[in-house]
Amino acid sequence: MNKTLVAAAAILVGIGGSAQAMTDLDVVAWKGNVAQPAGLPELIKRFEEQNPDIKVDLSYVSRKDVDKVVPPRLQSGNPPDVTMVDASLVALWGGAGFLSDLGEDHDWYKKMLPSVKKVMTLDGKVLAYPLEIVGMGNFVNMDLLKKAGIDKAPVTIDELKTACTALADKGISPMIFSGGFSAMLYVGANGINPKGPSPAEFGNGDLKFADDPNYNAALDSVRDLVAAKCFDPKLQAALDPWATAPQAFRSGTVAMLPHGAWNISDFAKVDGLNFEFAPMPSSFSKDGLALDLVGPGWAIPKDAAHAEAARKWIEFFAKPENLNVFLSVENAYSPYSGDATPPPKFSGPYTAARKAGDSILWPFSNEEFPKQLQSEWENSLTGFLLNLDKPNKDTLDRWDESVEDNL
Amino acid sequence: MRHRKTLYLFIIPALLVIGVFFVYPIILTFNMSFTRFQGIGKATQVGLKNYDRIFSRDRYLEAAWVTVFYTVIVVTAMNLSGLFFAAILHRLPMIRNFSRAALYTPSMISFVVVAYVWQFLYSPLNGGINVALTKLGLGAFTQNWLGDPNIAIFSVAFTQVWMFTGFTCAIYLAGFAGIPEEIGEAGRLEGASSWQRFRYLELPLLGPAITVAVMLTTIGTLKTFELPYILTKGGPDGATRMLSIEIINNLFGQYKFGFASALSILMLILVLFVAFIQNRVLRDRENTQ
Amino acid sequence: MSAADTSTVKKTGRKFDANLLRRRVKLSLAHGFVLTLVVIMLLPLVYMVMMSFKTSTEIAQNPLGLPKSLYWGNYMEALSSMGYVRSVLNSLFVTLSVIVVVVFAGAMAAYPLARIKSRASQLIVMIMALGLATPNFVTITPIYVIFRELGLLDTYLGIVLAFAALKLPLAVFFYTGFIAAIPIELEEAARLDNCNNWQIFWHVIRPLLAPVTATLSLFVMIMVWNDFIYPLLLLTDKNKLTVMISVYKFVGNTGIDPTKLFPAAVLGSIPLLLLFAVFQRKIMSGATAGAVK
Repeated sequence: MNKTLVAAAAILVGIGGSAQAMTDLDVVAWKGNVAQPAGLPELIKRFEEQNPDIKVDLSYVSRKDVDKVVPPRLQSGNPPDVTMVDASLVALWGGAGFLSDLGEDHDWYKKMLPSVKKVMTLDGKVLAYPLEIVGMGNFVNMDLLKKAGIDKAPVTIDELKTACTALADKGISPMIFSGGFSAMLYVGANGINPKGPSPAEFGNGDLKFADDPNYNAALDSVRDLVAAKCFDPKLQAALDPWATAPQAFRSGTVAMLPHGAWNISDFAKVDGLNFEFAPMPSSFSKDGLALDLVGPGWAIPKDAAHAEAARKWIEFFAKPENLNVFLSVENAYSPYSGDATPPPKFSGPYTAARKAGDSILWPFSNEEFPKQLQSEWENSLTGFLLNLDKPNKDTLDRWDESVEDNL
Repeated sequence: MRHRKTLYLFIIPALLVIGVFFVYPIILTFNMSFTRFQGIGKATQVGLKNYDRIFSRDRYLEAAWVTVFYTVIVVTAMNLSGLFFAAILHRLPMIRNFSRAALYTPSMISFVVVAYVWQFLYSPLNGGINVALTKLGLGAFTQNWLGDPNIAIFSVAFTQVWMFTGFTCAIYLAGFAGIPEEIGEAGRLEGASSWQRFRYLELPLLGPAITVAVMLTTIGTLKTFELPYILTKGGPDGATRMLSIEIINNLFGQYKFGFASALSILMLILVLFVAFIQNRVLRDRENTQ
Repeated sequence: MSAADTSTVKKTGRKFDANLLRRRVKLSLAHGFVLTLVVIMLLPLVYMVMMSFKTSTEIAQNPLGLPKSLYWGNYMEALSSMGYVRSVLNSLFVTLSVIVVVVFAGAMAAYPLARIKSRASQLIVMIMALGLATPNFVTITPIYVIFRELGLLDTYLGIVLAFAALKLPLAVFFYTGFIAAIPIELEEAARLDNCNNWQIFWHVIRPLLAPVTATLSLFVMIMVWNDFIYPLLLLTDKNKLTVMISVYKFVGNTGIDPTKLFPAAVLGSIPLLLLFAVFQRKIMSGATAGAVK
C-alpha cells in the first residue's frame, strides 16, 4: 500500500517535474543576428542537446539599443536570465548592484588574463564571464599592394608612407581614414606609449594630453601621412566608418582600412578579396602595435528567473571546445591563458605583433578612458582632419576638457 | 445643460492613456532633471546643477540654435515643395492620385533604412549622387555632401524634406479639395492666370491647411533625431548636432540620465513654445483673411 | 442670323481652336513635367532596390548601373532568416488593433472638446499638446515599469496600447478640428428626439468621421510597421514580434552591409506598400481632410 503510494507520488512528481523542467533561458545579446552570428546558432544547438531540459531563447538587441531595452528590465525585477555586457555595462549595472557575483572558484576565473580580470570584476565580485579579445588594426588588400610592388603589409610608419605613395602613384586609393574611427585607431596606436604611463592617468586627469609629446607626435604623424598621399583629409574626415567605409574596402577599391577584426568573417566571404589583418603601424614598435579590445562577456542579472540554467550556460562556454567555436567565427583571441585556441584567420601579422608583446588594451574598452572622451575623439579628430593647419593644442585641449567635464 | 457634464465622460479613456504615457513620464523626467542619475541604481539630488551646466556652456545653446535653424529650413522647404506639388496636381486630376501616392511612398520607409540609403547616395567614395552628377557633365557640382561642415546640415535637411514632401502635399491637396469649385471657375472666367488664381483665390483659402501642415512638420522636425543620428552622428565635428542628438548621446552613450532629463525638459519647453507661437500667428492669419 | 454674325462665330471658333491647342500642349507639358519630378523623387527608392540586387563589388564600382544579373541570393538569405509571414501577420494584427483603439478613444475625447469651450476643455487640449510635443525616448523607462506592474509585458494588448498612446494626441487634434466643423444643427435635431450623448455620438457624429479615420489609419500603419524600440522593449515572445524586428536583425553593431540590409528592408516594406497601393484611393481621397476642415 505504502509502496504504491510512494510509487504513485514518485510518478506524479516525475511528471510534474518533467513538465516544469523545461526551462526557457532568456538570453539577450548583441551578437548572434544575421549580420554577426558569432557561432551562436550552432552553440545554442549544442547546448540544448547537452541540456535537453533547457530551451534557449536568444534575443538580438544591438549594442546601442541594449542601453534602452535592458535597464528597464533590470530595474523592474524582470531581467533576462543571461545578458551580454561590456566593460562599461559591468561598471554601470554592476555598480548599481544589478548583476550577480559569479564567484571566484571557477577554473575559468583562475585562467583569466589579469588585464581582463580588472574589467570584469568590481569590488571583489566577478560580474561577467568574458568571451573574447578582439583585435583592432589595419586591413590590407594584398592584391592592390602587389600592384604597387609591395608584398608585405606595412607595420611601421615609414613602410606605411612608402606604400601609400606607391599606391597613389599607381592610381590606387591607398587608405580609408575616417575621423570617426580609423583616425582614432591610428592616433591611439601612435599616442599611447605601451611603455609609458598608463592611459588611465590621462583618463582621470592626472596627466594632460596637451602636454604629452607622444600625442602631439601622433597628430603630426597624421600630417605626414597626408603628405605621403595616404588619403585626402577633407574628403575622408566625416566618412561614415560603419557603412560606407567598410563597403569601400569590401569592394576592393581601397588598399587599406584601419578597423576592427569583427569585419574579418564578412570580408572573407567576398570573392576575390585577398586581404590580411595587420597591426596598426606605430612609431613605438617595428612590428606594428596590436590594439586589443576587451570584448563582451556573459552576465547573470541579480533577479534572473533561471539563474541555475544561466550558470550552466556560462559553464558551457567555459569549455574550450565551445568557446573556440565562438572565437573562430569571431576571429578573436581568448581572454584566458593556457587554452589551446587556434589563431584567428587572415590575422598573421596581427598575431605576430601580439606574440612579440607589441600590444595594448584599447583604453576605451576597459574604462581607462571615460566614455565621453570617445565621442570627443571622434569629433575633434574629424575637426582636425578638416583643418590640419590648426595647432595640435586645439585638439588635445578638447580631450583634456572632456576628461575634466567627466570628473 | 446636463448633457454637457456627462459629455466629459467621453474624454476619460483618452485622458487615462495620455496621463499614463505622457504626463507621468514627463513628471518623472522633470524630477530626474534635478538629480545625478545613471539610468539605473540610485539618483542623487543635485538641485539646479544640470541646468546651470547647460546654460554655462556654449555647446548646448549652439545645439539649440542648430535645432532651430534645421527646423526652419526643413519646415520651409517641406511646405513649399508640398504646396508646389499640390497646386500643380490640383490642376492635373489625371495624374493626381498616382503622384500623391508616389510622393507619399518615401515617408513609409523606416528612418533607419532611409538614412542608410542616403548614406550611400551621399558617399564621397563613388556615392550615387556624385557619380550621377559626373555622368551628367556636372562634375563641378560634386560635393562631400555629409563631410563638409558647411553643407552637411543642408544634406540632412534635404533627406528629411524628400521623405516628407508627400506628407505636406497630401495635406495641401486636401485643403485644395475643400475649396468650392465655383471659386476657381469664376477666376478662370475673369481671365486670371494660373498663378493669379493660386495667389489671390486659393492661397487665402488654404489657411487651415497651412496651419496644420506647418505645425505638424515643425513639431516633428524639432523632435527628430533619426536621420542626423545615422547620417552624420551630429558631425562633422558638431555641425549637425541638435538638441535631440545631444540628449540621445547623454542618455545612452554616457548614461547621464539626470543631465539628459534637464535637456529633455528644455527641449519640451522649446517645442511647446514654438507650437504655441505658431498656433497664435497662423490662426490669427486665418481669421484676418 | 446675319453673315457678319456667322463670321464672328467662325472667327472665335478658330481662335478657340488655337487656344485649345495651346492649352493641350501646355497641359501635356505640365503632365510630363510633374511626372518627371515625381519619378526623380522616387529615384532614391529605386537606388535602394537596385542595391538590394547587387553584389558588394557592383555597389562600389558601378553605383548607378543596373545590377548585372538579378542576384536573388541576397533575398534568399534574407527570407530564410526573417520569419517573414508570421511577423507580417503580427504587424497587420497590431496595426488593425491600434487603429481601433486610436479611433475610438480619439473620436470620443474629441467630441466634447469640440463642443464645449470651457477652461477645463482648454486645459485638456493643453495636456494633449504635451503628448504631441514629448520626445519618445523620454517615456521608455516609465512605460516599461508601468507595464510590468499591470502585467502587460509580452502581450499583444500591451504593445497595442503603447502604440495607440503615441498617436492618440494627434487623433484627438484631428477629430476635434473635424467635429467642430460639423453643423451643430444635426445634433440639436437628434437631441429633440431625446437621444442621449452616446446615441448622438454613435449615430450622428461617428458616421461622418471616415476621412480623419483614414488619415489616422495611415499614420498608425506607418508607425507600427517601422518602429522597433517598442517591440524590442515590450515583447520577448518571438512569435509576437513585428516585421521591422526581422529587418533589424540585419543591422549590425558595427555598421551595415548593404547587400544584406536592403533586401531585408525591401521585403519588410513590401506588405506596407501593397496595403497602401490597394487602399490608397480610400485613404488618400480623405487623407488629412480631417486636419484641414
